[in-house]
Amino acid sequence: MNGATLSDLLLLIPELILVGMALALILVARRIRKTSVAVVGTVLAALAAALASVWALPDGATTGFGGMITLDGYSQFFKVLIAATLAMAALLSVKTIDGETVPRGEYHALLLLAATGMMLAASALDLLMLYLALELMTLCSYTLVGATVKSPLANEGAIKYFLLASFASALFLYGISLTYGVTGSTDFVAIASALSEQGFGANPLLLVGVGLVTAGIAFKIAAVPFHVWAPDAYQGASAPVAAFLAAGSKAAGLAALGRVTLVAFGSQAEVLAVFLAGLAALSLIVGSLVLLAQTDMKRLLAYSSISHAGYALLGLIGGTAEGTSATMTYAFFYVFMTLGTFGVVIALGERGEKLEGYQGLASQRPAIAALMLLFLLSLTGIPPTAGFAAKFVVILSAVRAGYTGLAVLAVACSVVSAFIYMRVVVLMYMREPQEPAPSRFPVAISAALALAALVTLIGGISPGTVVVWAISP
Amino acid sequence: MNEYIGIAVMFVLAGGIAGAMVILASTLGKKNPTPEKLAPFECGKDPFSLPMGKLAIKFYLTAILFILFDVELVFLYPWAVVYRQLGLLGLTEMGVFLGILMVGFVYAWDNGALEWK
Repeated sequence: MNGATLSDLLLLIPELILVGMALALILVARRIRKTSVAVVGTVLAALAAALASVWALPDGATTGFGGMITLDGYSQFFKVLIAATLAMAALLSVKTIDGETVPRGEYHALLLLAATGMMLAASALDLLMLYLALELMTLCSYTLVGATVKSPLANEGAIKYFLLASFASALFLYGISLTYGVTGSTDFVAIASALSEQGFGANPLLLVGVGLVTAGIAFKIAAVPFHVWAPDAYQGASAPVAAFLAAGSKAAGLAALGRVTLVAFGSQAEVLAVFLAGLAALSLIVGSLVLLAQTDMKRLLAYSSISHAGYALLGLIGGTAEGTSATMTYAFFYVFMTLGTFGVVIALGERGEKLEGYQGLASQRPAIAALMLLFLLSLTGIPPTAGFAAKFVVILSAVRAGYTGLAVLAVACSVVSAFIYMRVVVLMYMREPQEPAPSRFPVAISAALALAALVTLIGGISPGTVVVWAISP
Repeated sequence: MNEYIGIAVMFVLAGGIAGAMVILASTLGKKNPTPEKLAPFECGKDPFSLPMGKLAIKFYLTAILFILFDVELVFLYPWAVVYRQLGLLGLTEMGVFLGILMVGFVYAWDNGALEWK
């Protein structure tokens, strides 16, 4: 194994910035008197990390740490996306995380560390590194879900999340050990070369190993049947944490899955496609159907995120570079429209968490209602929003890969889920208000909402601005 | 096979010395049994109790602090063995590692984890 040198650290500048800020926040945690200090620190670190990711553009891909970490267009794309998720989650937290029930410094330090894990997952070039990165993300997420210690729902959600995620981690590790046993390596490139020699057929254990690795990552993106944790965790967590999990955990999981399926197991795409198509079909059906029965806004968005995991997986089935780019585009737009929808829920406070709370919102606060309309149209996938462009590219790649049936299913599920999204719109625009108008909310939330709305609109009108950056590994 | 003879000798010696101590103590030793002496001993605690028993939550904090230093030692030992080969880079890396662990310790200290109240 090659030794690491100090120049390898240059590959990890964005992660180092986030860790540095997290450590600083932990050190001064007891002395932070204002929430804004922690929020500003986190947002600045996220901005610096995003700039560092863009600036550190190498000539082609560079690897370091003995081939464990890489810096390429793919990891850069996801690092910028995760930095944006982090910044928006921090901005959306100003109202909910006020330092009375949840300690501010610790909360933002955990957000930063979870984002570090997500970024590492996008750059990992080794199964064990990937495991460590995803564990860093999930360990911080358990604590974030249970951060509101006094709330029984939060405790329940955190414990369920912890137990199920530990089980999924064990599956993932078992998959890694089986893959190592057959191919003799945990390195993606070495696995790929071993696979192209012997193939899946040579050893059925390898098939089990690959299935378990896929299952472990599918848990992070909450794809059916590994989705059970999501509704409870989202409902129990405070809304900004749920937003961060829905957007960040999915982006990191898709980044990891994209690289694993294309680089490590790429030569056996036909076998892997069976797993992925199954996950996608189940996620689409279960997500869209159960979505219809929800009345709690956070649970509704949890099922929405489950069905969106299904759409995002459509791009990976073909095992082609174009398909992976489509999934990257999907992940990008999904993050912004989900954070935007959660942003509206957070801005409305108590009232935003129930479906009935949206009655007559348009007559009381037309601007907020218009924003919600935009995000809901995008989640449904109606032009001219980013959601349409995102769905278009992934369904197109499924058709190109020869999965026409799955593409039809995706469109049908889109129509089914439109019922519930449009029900919120009907409640907002066609009902009389039942509750007093919501109070004003901090400017930080407006900033996050504006960014989400901007990306959702630009992505709908000219998706090419994002698509050109979505370069598969 | 030869390299395993040392291990066999060690097993025999360890077993012999430990066995001799037990036998000598039970045959030659003075017997003065009291209830305290007859009780099975485990770190000052009754080793057998129902799981419903109460335990001060403060012990958990101590356990977490213990893990902090435990992890540190687990990593320090192998590092010390190959210290010369690693050179300056190894020293820096260990410094960073200890620094991060110490941030956690300072945080715990700052929040009163070391005060038994």
